[in-house]
Amino acid sequence: MNPFALIIIMLTVVLGTLIVMTSSHWLMVWIGFEMNMLAIIPILMKKYNPRSMEACTKYFLTQATASMLLMLAITINLVHSGQWSTMKPLDPTASIVMTLAMAMKLGLAPFHFWVPEVAQGIQLSSGLILLTWQKLAPMSILYQISPTINSTLILTLSILSVAVGGWGGLNQTQLRKIMAYSSIAHMGWMTAAMMFSPMMALLNLVIYIILTTTTLMMFMMNSTTTTLSLSHTWNKTPLLTTAILATLLSLGGLPPLSGFLPKWMIIQELTKNDNIILPTFMVITALLNLFFYMRLTYSTSLTTFPSTNNMKLKWQLNPTKTTIYLPPLIILSTLILPLSPMLILLE
Amino acid sequence: MNLFTSSMLLTLLILMMPVMMSNLNIYTKSSYPNYVKTMVSYAFMTSLIPTIIFIQSGQDMVISNWHWMTIQTMKLTLSFKLDYFSMIFMPVALFVTWSIMEFSLWYMHSDPNINRFFKYLLMFLITMMILVTANNLFQLFIGWEGVGIMSFMLIGWWFGRADANTAALQAILYNRIGDVGLLMAMAWFLFNLNTWELQQIFSLNPTNTNLPLAGLLLAATGKSAQFGLHPWLPSAMEGPTPVSALLHSSTMVVAGIFLLIRFYPLTENNKTIQTMMLCLGAITTLFTAICALTQNDIKKIVAFSTSSQLGLMMVTVGINQPHLAFLHICTHAFFKAMLFMCSGSIIHSLGDEQDIRKMGGLYKTLPFTTTALITGSLALTGTPFLTGFYSKDLIIESINTSYTNAWALMLTLIATSLTAVYSTRIIYFALMGQPRFPTLILINENNPLLMNPIKRLLMGSIFAGFLISNNITPMTVPQMTMPTHLKMTAIMITLLGFTVALELSLATQNLKFKSPSNSTKFSTLLGYFPTTMHRLQPFLNLLASQKVASMILDLTWLENILPKSISAFQMSTSTMISTQKGQIKLYFLSFLITLALTLLTLKYI
Repeated sequence: MNPFALIIIMLTVVLGTLIVMTSSHWLMVWIGFEMNMLAIIPILMKKYNPRSMEACTKYFLTQATASMLLMLAITINLVHSGQWSTMKPLDPTASIVMTLAMAMKLGLAPFHFWVPEVAQGIQLSSGLILLTWQKLAPMSILYQISPTINSTLILTLSILSVAVGGWGGLNQTQLRKIMAYSSIAHMGWMTAAMMFSPMMALLNLVIYIILTTTTLMMFMMNSTTTTLSLSHTWNKTPLLTTAILATLLSLGGLPPLSGFLPKWMIIQELTKNDNIILPTFMVITALLNLFFYMRLTYSTSLTTFPSTNNMKLKWQLNPTKTTIYLPPLIILSTLILPLSPMLILLE
Repeated sequence: MNLFTSSMLLTLLILMMPVMMSNLNIYTKSSYPNYVKTMVSYAFMTSLIPTIIFIQSGQDMVISNWHWMTIQTMKLTLSFKLDYFSMIFMPVALFVTWSIMEFSLWYMHSDPNINRFFKYLLMFLITMMILVTANNLFQLFIGWEGVGIMSFMLIGWWFGRADANTAALQAILYNRIGDVGLLMAMAWFLFNLNTWELQQIFSLNPTNTNLPLAGLLLAATGKSAQFGLHPWLPSAMEGPTPVSALLHSSTMVVAGIFLLIRFYPLTENNKTIQTMMLCLGAITTLFTAICALTQNDIKKIVAFSTSSQLGLMMVTVGINQPHLAFLHICTHAFFKAMLFMCSGSIIHSLGDEQDIRKMGGLYKTLPFTTTALITGSLALTGTPFLTGFYSKDLIIESINTSYTNAWALMLTLIATSLTAVYSTRIIYFALMGQPRFPTLILINENNPLLMNPIKRLLMGSIFAGFLISNNITPMTVPQMTMPTHLKMTAIMITLLGFTVALELSLATQNLKFKSPSNSTKFSTLLGYFPTTMHRLQPFLNLLASQKVASMILDLTWLENILPKSISAFQMSTSTMISTQKGQIKLYFLSFLITLALTLLTLKYI
């Protein structure tokens, strides 16, 4: 793409999200969402083929519907309270509709159908933006309306999401779809935490963004989109196999890696509020997530899969891609757990 | 007094002599069986002395010899009770045994182990005497078990034959089930009355005797082949004919009834047990009579006849007439043993042929056996003034005139007429008509070893009823007056049975044999009892246990419940969730439905 156009489009995406996060007038929030959505469509369409078109179309339709629902919620709030300020508590009906709108934007179940398909149809870098940056704006809105969210609704969304994220990912070999289901599951964890302690939801969001960025960048380094090509990593960049192992296990939430930190905090918050069954169920379905990450690590790092005999020594060649951000991200995504006492600053 | 005691003990000692001789290897002369037979006859003579003393003076005796042990407050001794029942039974049993031993000298003369055979018979007799003269339940139990074991050894005499071993085991198993009842009764007596002595039990006269009497009833069911524990008796015909004659017609199988008779002071106060005995006996007598109708083995017919008569004895005990039942035991021994011996004579003469369909026309060739067989059958059916009449007719009269269960009475009467039917069947098939056996057989019954015992028992079958019933002390008042039709019931239905059977046999003898009807199958297969109990029950048990062990435990619990079900569930759920059609209209539909449902439920619950 023309670099000028690319810069303008990326800046619009960023601007849209920032407008959403910082505005105090509900109409500006809506405008920010629309800007964000319209600007990201060309990014999703980097490659001109029907698959990308289809993915873009689906993404556009669902996000536009969600924005419409957001408008509906704002209007209901206006009718009931007569003002547009985001600082004031929402009317219950408006809160329900807005929660559903945000759920559609995030890709929570039962609105999750578009996430794997859109993720599969686009480039890895577009998928990176889709799965990480696009989650910031809706989460910020959820954070702002968190006092008035109907708890039944959000817990139902969260339970369904973790279940769908767990079971849906079991049947996949395409890496983009795996990351899509992983995002659905993590969104479920975040919304569950939103009920009791929105700060922990934000913590989960931050760590999730770091982990997903690391993973997708590692995938982008070898341009792998399937498990099969991922299993050839030992041939191309042997060092990456270790990193993939550590990052994927962290994504699955294993202590002592940093992916464990949000889960631990969320479970603590839930049990402090006398919720026992919900965190048990969430942890058990997180095991399903862990299982398919482990499957990836099994074929990638733990065993040496066979490859064609032509290029057994690709690792000797000089790498061409620049991976300047990868090392700090890997460190961040695996070793943050000892910093957890710093969370006391949040109190 | 001294003559009574000493002659009694002398009898028992005479019986023990041959056993001790053979154990100590003192007797070296060749004819040990003859020696045994002679000793039994001497014992019979000697046992007549105490019997006559008892009849003349009416005195009972209890000989309490040796103090065995004392368990806390209960004293166990070796004590013999010489009262009405044991004094009259002993000579009868010894007489019958003497005749049977002489018969088996002829029957088993070609057997290489004939010495051992006679020793077993003698040991059986000794244990039977112990049982009959026991004064405490412990000694009775010794005799009880003894007759059971000797029955096992003797039924399985020809142990090379698999059927004989099975029959012996079957006898042991069924008797064992009855032994449980006897042990339960012994335990109850021990706990509640602190004694096993019969005198103490009767003088204490306990009131709630349901449990021990039910136990005794179970023991009698096992030992005397009442319905439910009866299949062992026809199977026991695998043993040699002398064994069938001694054990399974006269002596061992009456031990159960004898036990119930011994306890008559307790049963006469317990109406429940009397009703149970009555009904059980009635079912037994009719069921086994039906089974006897279609048997083709001559020994099996006589065995079922024994079973039917045992049912009749149980019925008699059930209407509270123990002395009549005892009288029937004594008279039944004579003609039943003789019937078995006649069967043995026929079997041996025809070259070991037991199937009545292959006999016939023996009327002319075995005249003496024919005489004895017909006389025995007439005595069995209760022909007036033969032996059976004095006991059987009295029993039928008592049932008819007592305040009892009409259904049980009906069954007993039908069984009585069936007695005549199957007796006619034996006579018709074995003795009348044209011969159906191969022609190259030497039929010779002129052996005195065969004829003398049958002669003696023939005299007994004719006169013993008269002699015994006129000489015993009357313990109960017989029914003196009754309407004519009740008095003539027994003989009328017997005549009816004879007539019908003879007419049917003569009318159908030349007809083609049709495939059997359901009633015939019922009778031939012994009421399906062995089929269900011996085959179906173990099969179901083993099948259930195999299913439990392999299917339920291994396959289901250990494999399917957690591992396979979890993995199957996960796979099905993941395929269900991740297969999407990709049509956006479906997605919008799901959004719409979710939206509508959420608003409805959360706003307007």
